Amino acid sequence: MIAGSMLSYEGKKRAVLLLIALGVAVWIAVDAAAGGSAHWSRVLARLPLLLTGSASGWPINGGFVLNIMLSLASMALATALGTIMGLATLARFGPIRVPAFLLMNFLRNSPWLVLLFATLYFLPFEMHVFGTVIPFPPFVKAVIGLALPTAANFSEVIRGAVQSIHSGQWEAARSLGYGTGQIYRHVIMPQALRRMIPGWMNLYALLMIATALATVTGIQDVLTILNTLLAMENERVIVYFYLTILFLFIAYCYPIAAIARRWERAVKGESL
Amino acid sequence: MNRVDALIELDNVRKSFGDVPVLKGISMFVQKGEAVCIIGPSGSGKSTVLRCINGLIPVDDGFVRVGAHRVHEMRSEKQMRALRHQVAMVFQQYNLFPHRTALENIMMAPIQVLGHDRAEVEERARKLLKKVRLSEKADSYPGQLSGGQQQRVAIARALAMQPDVILFDEVTAALDPETVKDVLFAIRELVEEGLTCILVTHEMKFAREVSQRVCFTDRGLIVESAPPAELFDNPQDPRTREFLGQVL
Repeated sequence: MIAGSMLSYEGKKRAVLLLIALGVAVWIAVDAAAGGSAHWSRVLARLPLLLTGSASGWPINGGFVLNIMLSLASMALATALGTIMGLATLARFGPIRVPAFLLMNFLRNSPWLVLLFATLYFLPFEMHVFGTVIPFPPFVKAVIGLALPTAANFSEVIRGAVQSIHSGQWEAARSLGYGTGQIYRHVIMPQALRRMIPGWMNLYALLMIATALATVTGIQDVLTILNTLLAMENERVIVYFYLTILFLFIAYCYPIAAIARRWERAVKGESL
Repeated sequence: MNRVDALIELDNVRKSFGDVPVLKGISMFVQKGEAVCIIGPSGSGKSTVLRCINGLIPVDDGFVRVGAHRVHEMRSEKQMRALRHQVAMVFQQYNLFPHRTALENIMMAPIQVLGHDRAEVEERARKLLKKVRLSEKADSYPGQLSGGQQQRVAIARALAMQPDVILFDEVTAALDPETVKDVLFAIRELVEEGLTCILVTHEMKFAREVSQRVCFTDRGLIVESAPPAELFDNPQDPRTREFLGQVL
């Protein structure tokens, strides 16, 4: 009790996290001593395959690296689409704002997996545009399917950041003769951008986690490879493989989310 | 007073926000080089009058003219541009751009809006910073400056547009008494140089010393308008007397 009251909230949080980490380490050690180490060595042998999609670790055919590539490509697309959508929802002109607003809400409130299936079945496997054939392999479909809900969420991040800029900034800029477009470019966006970054990073961490869903498109991502692999392994090992994949995602996403949180606090303290 | 010669002319200006009438027929004229103070209780429409003059708030009815610009007829931001060049404004909350240094705040609009030459604008900006006695703060960001310093940068920013008129909207209301002095000193200099100024203020002593005319507004109307000595020492309207009795 006394020790607890002496610790700050941050201190307590750190202590709890440390306890959990310690618990997990102890459990792994005890389990390994009780025969689990044989199972872990199976996982270790398969780790290059899980990470890169080839047993020797090279060349890269898929695996966790493919999840990362998928998340990066999807985030790039989502950032572009979300920016357009976000600016459209801010437009004063109704015929632009209203459809953008409806589309954004539709995408934001649909289950990601359903959107992924939708792009999978609605998009043709190739498209003919002016004589050139644009193919849509499963990877591209997965990129688009995951980018749609991410873009909708990012457009909300943009809208929130822009609207959080004090109205006095608009008034001052207008009194100096700036037009609406110039105000966005020179006054509002440079300030809003700083406030967007934490939300954008959080969204990226979420998207990375969601790439596990892309296994339904049949791409050789870490989960697809695991499923093929498990057919050859005995049942007792399964849990060790899943734990490993869980850890891969946490190890990749947690630092991103942690940096985003720290940045969020820094931006919040900013005057105006 | 001859209204055709006036630089700024408001005639029977009306404005409502929703169902609330804020201006109920404001008429006033300001000559070139004149300093006019607007005083009155809060909510009487003082700040709204200023915003109608530079078009930040469109009027519902009435006539607003600044120089050759007929403000009440303007509908788009593009039409407003020449007007905004002529009329600058300083705000209660300073409203400096926090992502730019003091010097950049001053230089931005002349370069980006008026398209003036960068080197020439920088020279002008540094002169203005010197004028408001903040030369050493050129590279500081607004967040690093005190309220009074920020307000003086805001005045320099307004001056950089080389306006004919500056509107001051309760520019000392958010400042502590210590720094109010510096800001008022800067404004007094401008008035003495003959720049046309309209000041909404609660600083009665300052209004008396600096202005050629004081307008008292109450409930959306200009109740009384007279040279400061007359208005402060011998108010004609009972509402003016009541207000001055409370604040003096």
